Amino acid sequence: MKEPHPLTRRTMLSGAAALLATAGRVHSQVPGTRVATLDWALLETLLAIGADVVAATELRQFRQVAVEPEVPEDVADLGLRGTPNFEVLRFARPDLIFNSNFYAWADPLMSRIAPVENHAIYRPGESPHALAEQATLAIGERLQLPAARRMVDELAARLDRYRSLFAKGDGRPVLPINLGDARHYRVFGSDSMFGEVLQRTGLKNAWTGATSYSATAPVGIETLASMPDAWIVLIPPHPEDAFRALTGSAFWKALPAVRENRVLTIGSVNPYGALPAASRFADFLAEGFSHAGNG
Amino acid sequence: MPGTADLSMPLRAPSPSLLPAALLGIACILAFSLLLLLRPQVPGDTETAAALDRILLWSSLAPRAAIALISGAALGLAGALLQRVLRNPIADASTLGIASGAELALTLGLSLSPLLVGASRELAAFAGGLAAVAIVLALSWRRGFDPVTVAISGMIVSLIAASLSVTLVLARGEYAMSIHIWGAGALNQQDWSGVISLAPRLAAGIAAAFLLLRPLNVLALDDSSAKSLGVALHAARFAILILAVWLSASVTATVGIIGFLGLAAPAIARLCGARSTGQMMIAAPLTGAAVLFLADCLTQVLGPGFSDLAPTGAATALLGGPLLLLLLPRVHGFSAVTARPDAVLRHLRKPGTALIVLAILLAAIFAAVLTIGPAEGGWSIATGTLFSDLLPFRLPRVVAAGGAGAMLGAAGFLMQRITGNPIASPEVLGVSTGGGAGLTVALFLFGFPSPAVMLSGMALGALAALLVMIAIAGRSGLSAERLLLAGIAISAFSMAIVSMVLAQGDMRSYILLTWMSGSTNRAGGFEAWTAVISLAVLTAPLFLMTRWLAILPLGAGLSRSIGLQVLPSRLILAVLAALMTAISSFLVGPLSLTGLIAPHLARLIGFQRPHHQLLGAILIGAGVLIAADWLSRVVIYPYQVPVGLFAALIGGPYLLWLLGRRS
Repeated sequence: MKEPHPLTRRTMLSGAAALLATAGRVHSQVPGTRVATLDWALLETLLAIGADVVAATELRQFRQVAVEPEVPEDVADLGLRGTPNFEVLRFARPDLIFNSNFYAWADPLMSRIAPVENHAIYRPGESPHALAEQATLAIGERLQLPAARRMVDELAARLDRYRSLFAKGDGRPVLPINLGDARHYRVFGSDSMFGEVLQRTGLKNAWTGATSYSATAPVGIETLASMPDAWIVLIPPHPEDAFRALTGSAFWKALPAVRENRVLTIGSVNPYGALPAASRFADFLAEGFSHAGNG
Repeated sequence: MPGTADLSMPLRAPSPSLLPAALLGIACILAFSLLLLLRPQVPGDTETAAALDRILLWSSLAPRAAIALISGAALGLAGALLQRVLRNPIADASTLGIASGAELALTLGLSLSPLLVGASRELAAFAGGLAAVAIVLALSWRRGFDPVTVAISGMIVSLIAASLSVTLVLARGEYAMSIHIWGAGALNQQDWSGVISLAPRLAAGIAAAFLLLRPLNVLALDDSSAKSLGVALHAARFAILILAVWLSASVTATVGIIGFLGLAAPAIARLCGARSTGQMMIAAPLTGAAVLFLADCLTQVLGPGFSDLAPTGAATALLGGPLLLLLLPRVHGFSAVTARPDAVLRHLRKPGTALIVLAILLAAIFAAVLTIGPAEGGWSIATGTLFSDLLPFRLPRVVAAGGAGAMLGAAGFLMQRITGNPIASPEVLGVSTGGGAGLTVALFLFGFPSPAVMLSGMALGALAALLVMIAIAGRSGLSAERLLLAGIAISAFSMAIVSMVLAQGDMRSYILLTWMSGSTNRAGGFEAWTAVISLAVLTAPLFLMTRWLAILPLGAGLSRSIGLQVLPSRLILAVLAALMTAISSFLVGPLSLTGLIAPHLARLIGFQRPHHQLLGAILIGAGVLIAADWLSRVVIYPYQVPVGLFAALIGGPYLLWLLGRRS
């Protein structure tokens, strides 16, 4: 099998350029409000619009999974998202805390440290992309960071550009998945952030089964055969042994998508992300397709 | 030895009844035909579709069927071997902790090196399974592998291993999915590699089992007769044990945990008429294969489209609870575990003074954990504004932990008194995990339930667990031994429900994982007040019931002759204990084992009269959990270890020591 298109340095740089360029500038100009958050989607939004983030959760894991935007070294690590350390949060002295519906239980505790504002991005039956746009704009307004509006507009324009780019492609549906082990994967349905990026760039999601506003419960790998037309987009992080075992198997090699070279392995993207994750995913898709000569 | 007789000697003449066996076979054939006929069609043009259908059939469906048969046979054989060698009708990879030990070792291995494949993977599983079974057997060695002791130690070892795995999962976040799937035992295959690695192992296992047939037959007799027949008893036992662990661990490494199949297979084989060791060695693997095959076909047929209804391993685990209950009448402990409560080592001349000393100690711990801790720039004793700033975060969790510990101490004390059994405790009796099943149901009904709804769900679950148990064990007048085994059965059933949801890997499973690990980090005013109020309301009446508590441990007969209404008094106490268990497991998770340690320490210190012991257990329980809570938030600062788990790591070894002690 031909090696799936690897993540190139250029992709990373070009994808991040627009966001980080604006972010860095704002960061240096406005000292601004010291903010903290428990939620990764809000964390990447805050970092991308140049907010002064002083504390956030699971930074070690965030740097591996979300990769971008970069987390400055001096941000305090609050520990696991499920068990954030409130004492560390208190020592970080935030002026304002952003929280999401996932961690709403912590609101009363954190409101003793600083005012808490809640923004939901993942809610059953609602579009995470629309909610992420709303949250980004609201946060930008609250912190008086014009970069938020710029990010929303820039991403919308970029997705439009990709839409016309992808329209020249083969028009096949796309199956965005995350490998769990060599025999199971999670698939991102139409109501996930990745699903919405597909929709906004005019691509069809190959997964039409049940979905629950993020990723499905693990699905058996044999189901890949039921979508012979699709592009398979592998979204890390996945266990390295699972990836090797799967890509070495006869079943994998027999799949039409694999034989016809319709597999993209992109860089790691936070599956519960906000606009920066959507942007990263869209850039990876465009990069991958351009290498594969599809649009 | 009655337990021995049941296994080796048929109750009636050995007339293998072919009917159940035939029915099982027909069911398998029917299910497989249904699976083949109803398998979802691949879309697309006919040529590609046909090609893909062929791939699916030969690279997925066929190896999956084969792996189900092989894994089932291996687990069935392992179960039969374990039951024979330990002379224990409820021994299997799940009850002995082999599966959980292997899971923990694999989880640990995956955390250390993401490329744990092939031989190293299997070796890790084998080492983990062997370590778990070694601990379990070391504990029951002195009691001659008494079935009840073995089952209880196995359950505790499983709980501790599972909670350690959960902590690793929580700490690793995103990579956890593979561990979820694998912990629930899914049989999906995409090639024949699993079959190729497992089949020779099964063949070797069967061959070895037949070589060991003679020693096995002798082992069915008791130790002295076996020795006189000249069998190197320990060597034979050891060899058979290693063989069984190796078979189970190989299956676990390949497809994950398949719950309680080793229990089901020999039981069904016996139903089909297998009696002698030889018959059992053939029938148990066959029924194991049939049962797993059937279960796997059903999850595939009943699941929507290409998806399965549930991971097969979690589905078979649902069988575990009911099967254990079914097997209850066969289990006869050697009455070592269920002996009278520990003899008090010494008598306290002034228990009142001792209680005051304990209370002062508790107050000192309380003050210390509120003030001492890491802060900006290292450790400090918080005073002034820093203290008042940190108090809102420290006080609720300390109060919640203390209140939960106190209630667990009281609940454990009650359960030990009701059953007259020194190792009864909320964790051992399955009341805590029953609460977990209740929580699971609440999560399904309400999506994101409020703490109050979660608490009610758990209280109902705990009560239901306890009532079911009392109903089942009630026929024997709540005999202590039955109660313990029924507790294990209910615990197994509840955990099967919990792990089916865990395998979904969504937000609900995250909430369940958090609950299982037992963290006080989320405690706020609600949790703290819940702890304080329920502690006051639920323990106050106990001090009016001390007469019951003094009489009940003497046994039903004696209690009745003194004029105590045994059943109603036991019921009232049991309901109080269940409520206290549910509330504390809401606060600190199901695994803390404080309910076991606290009453014991109270007895060891020398409190004798029930109300002294009760107060002692409450104070000690509170102190243990408050100290554990403090440790849990400082050992890997700023990250935190869940307190319930931390307490289990203290309580587990204590229980194990207790079980291993010569009575």
